[in-house]
Amino acid sequence: MTNALATAIIAVSLLAAAFSAVTSFRNRPMGRGDLAGLAVLEVLLVVQAVLGFVKLGGGEGPKDSATFVGYLLAVLLIPAAGAGWGLLERSRWGPGVIVVAGLAVAVMIVRMNQIWSGTGV
Amino acid sequence: MSDTTESPATTGTGSGPGRMLVAVYAIFALAAGARAGVQIATKFSEAPVAYTLSAFAAVVYVLATVALARGGRTSRRLAVAACSVELAGVLVVGTLSLADPAAFPDATVWSGYGRGYGFVPLVLPVVGLLWLRRTARAGRG
Repeated sequence: MTNALATAIIAVSLLAAAFSAVTSFRNRPMGRGDLAGLAVLEVLLVVQAVLGFVKLGGGEGPKDSATFVGYLLAVLLIPAAGAGWGLLERSRWGPGVIVVAGLAVAVMIVRMNQIWSGTGV
Repeated sequence: MSDTTESPATTGTGSGPGRMLVAVYAIFALAAGARAGVQIATKFSEAPVAYTLSAFAAVVYVLATVALARGGRTSRRLAVAACSVELAGVLVVGTLSLADPAAFPDATVWSGYGRGYGFVPLVLPVVGLLWLRRTARAGRG
């Protein structure tokens, strides 16, 4: 894992969650800003997946690589699914879904770092 | 369509605030499912009970997610059942895993009352059941 990228992803996911939380508090449905946050997040996650596989292929990474690969791929689903599910709801609860998605991505990235460095179980 | 401020009235279990609940359930379905998949595929013989339990938990989360998202009478019943099983599961497995750690050599989502997941597995079924009760009442009134 590259720490700079992981940090960037965590920052973007928390910013996207905060932005959508504001949208939700203002009682607005999901707008372009909310979707843009998810789009940036998704691009970063794809970059991470590619880099992750390259590094794993190069022999780096944790002993228990299956779990790491699971996270690497599963996390890609979150922003896309959040956008789709949130867009179906034309109320404040649409951006609410993005808040959940952003927080979930942040937690998953922290967990992936633990798995990569072997400090988590 | 735009003025769904606070009332869940007329809406199903999967819309309004319920949409966030379904989102959280979907993440747990994914988390439990992926975890069970990896555990069973790579090291099932190490702790068959714990891993079978992981898979069972994953199925319950998937059922709850789908049932809450769909709404309707049958789905509502299924959702109540799934949330109840989930609550019972997290309480029983949580207690057993603390009382007899040797029986659970590897963690499941429900171990230690969902400690590994910020206790969300303990809170989620309670919120789910409350939400189902609330939307049922709103639907009748």
